[in-house]
Amino acid sequence: MATHREALTLVVNAPFSRSPYLARSIENGVRLAAGEVNANGIRIGSKTYELHVTTMDTALSPARAVANMRRAVGQHAVAVVDEGTGLDASWRIANEDGMPVGVVFEGGSQIVDPVTRPNVFRIAPTDHGIAFRLAEYLVPKGLKVALLHDDSDYGAAGEQALESAFSRNRSSVAIDETLAADALDLGPQVLRARRAHATGLLVWGRPATIAAVLTAARSSGWNVPVFTPPTGSDPFVRQQLADNPSWVDGLTFASGRLTAEVGTGPFLTFEQKYESSFGVDRVGVKSGGRPVIAPPESAMYAYDFVNLIAAALLKAGSPDPAKVTAALNEVTTEGANGDQRAFNHNNHEGIVDDDIYFAHFRDMIYVPVKDDALSATLPTLPQTR
Amino acid sequence: MNRSALVVIAGLAVVASAHAAPPAHYASLPSPSAPLSPSPPLGGGATSGSEGFRHRVAAKTTVEVSVGRDGAPFALHATQRLDVRVLGDYFFTIGAPLLGVVAAPGSASTPGLRATSILWAGFNPGRRLLIARATLDPAAAGSFLPLRIETAPGRVTLINETGVTAGAYTADALVAPVVHYLAQLRQQVALKQTPTSGGAYVTSKPTAAGLRVAAPLRVTGTIGTHKIEAFLEDGSVTLQADGPVRLTVTPAVPERLLNGPTAGLSGRQLLERAERAALTLARVRQYQTYLGNPDPTGPSETTYLYRTAARPLPPPVAAIAAPKRDWATTLGVAAGLLLATAVALVVWARS
Repeated sequence: MATHREALTLVVNAPFSRSPYLARSIENGVRLAAGEVNANGIRIGSKTYELHVTTMDTALSPARAVANMRRAVGQHAVAVVDEGTGLDASWRIANEDGMPVGVVFEGGSQIVDPVTRPNVFRIAPTDHGIAFRLAEYLVPKGLKVALLHDDSDYGAAGEQALESAFSRNRSSVAIDETLAADALDLGPQVLRARRAHATGLLVWGRPATIAAVLTAARSSGWNVPVFTPPTGSDPFVRQQLADNPSWVDGLTFASGRLTAEVGTGPFLTFEQKYESSFGVDRVGVKSGGRPVIAPPESAMYAYDFVNLIAAALLKAGSPDPAKVTAALNEVTTEGANGDQRAFNHNNHEGIVDDDIYFAHFRDMIYVPVKDDALSATLPTLPQTR
Repeated sequence: MNRSALVVIAGLAVVASAHAAPPAHYASLPSPSAPLSPSPPLGGGATSGSEGFRHRVAAKTTVEVSVGRDGAPFALHATQRLDVRVLGDYFFTIGAPLLGVVAAPGSASTPGLRATSILWAGFNPGRRLLIARATLDPAAAGSFLPLRIETAPGRVTLINETGVTAGAYTADALVAPVVHYLAQLRQQVALKQTPTSGGAYVTSKPTAAGLRVAAPLRVTGTIGTHKIEAFLEDGSVTLQADGPVRLTVTPAVPERLLNGPTAGLSGRQLLERAERAALTLARVRQYQTYLGNPDPTGPSETTYLYRTAARPLPPPVAAIAAPKRDWATTLGVAAGLLLATAVALVVWARS
């Protein structure tokens, strides 16, 4: 006889209509973890619970993100897995019920603060960490860097992080420019950077901005090295430049490491489970004649957050969101990549800044660089099928 | 018979002796590194997230103990410095009953706070210093301090609190192997290596016995104007002194047991010496590891600083003015109201 199970709602709040690859990846990670948790259910006292996943589209609009959060609270969700848009306003709504929110993409430093926003947690590389690691990597190379950031929420947060990271090395900055996130042609801005004698471009923006900067630079014959935050690895960049694959070569991005000390094993196992459930995320380009796929990075963070929620439910011994939020400070799980995932009372960041690595593209797939201590220890993940 | 004694007896491995007479059997000696009680280290010690390799970690801890005029501890802070070697990711938990934790100057990272542990996570590029300053719950951590101080007018008593009864055994034993083991312990201690277990060849049936051992404490500093230099092997010492306490306490090597003369001692006496030395080293190791080291074989040192301090005053209680009423007043007011109501009704009825 089947045991009766009570449903706990998990909400995925992400830009499904505006950044479908990212949002779907987050949703899939949540669904994969929820499915695994539900195999046995979560037993608390005499009741068994299972996680039901509901999606809400922010369309990259803070107003819609806030409205979605109200709906999530109205549905008595146990937690929200959030891309990060509009969180500066929406966290308060969740906090009224003590509901935990797990941010799995945006890295702005103001988003997470264990004291003032006790219900907000993040499993994603922080902008602060990425910016400082980029500065640490680029300044010793003697490059004169053009800091280019778009005017999206993501780009604005990046601008702040870069400002802080390069504050002690302003002589390494050739020019600092804000780009329009929806601009199709960034030729004039890239030309200004070239005239400022930049020897490297650091582009912090949405994938479309990065693709536009690469197009502007390469089409003018300027083979300047380009560095980006994690959005540089978004399939959209390669899709946009599919007709000129060589333009992507050398593009270097910073991101959270996908593999742990134990090697590729845990991540590849996770990837296999992901692909079995949802299929491969094809980039739409080829490398060496074979189709390129995107490793499920954002899915991994969402997956890890759901597992932490499940651990916190057990620790709290209650589905009360406020108790789950408190328990999140006390639990540790093994992440999809074999790393330990944990929060604590002082720190609600699930990815430590130390774990940010660099990779560069070669023939449409990326490989960790060799001139950085952490990156040099990391293996290259298979990215063709 | 306590559990440790049973373990020791169970560990007596009977091996045919190569010597003809007297017939001797190999017997394991107590471990010089296994803890003799659950704490210290506090909170179950430290753990290292297993990712297939081990960091080498040297730990140095300073415990600041604030004591009142009566010598009782009321506040505890521990500063732990972990010198981490070996390239790769780390994830350490250091057990402790915590009220708070912050990074201390010089730390390459910031510690995480949990109710019962300090959390360290990150990537070590080859060498990394992790330094945490933790505020400990004195009610939970205070009972595992090595020294207790009692004061009375004109005198102060220092009490070694590390004593414990551990499982051991007595038997006649061949002299040479025990003397050799004592020399081995002495050398390992001198080289600051983790002492290793050893054995003896016993020539009579071992009998379980409990041995009381304590970590010797070196106590230096001042009490009032008196300079203090004491070596407390066990028990207590009473000093004619008065005034604020400023003492530094360090667990010390049991020199007398390791370096004392062995000539003329019987095999039985030497066996007891070796057991006592091993157990005492185990106890010293515990107090050298007040906060755990995530590398179980890494070196650990702890220094305890006892200081007289002013107890924090309890927060002032808001003064609430007592209502200046009593039953007589209340009844009077009620009667007055009833009377007024009655008069009002009469007036209304006639209007």
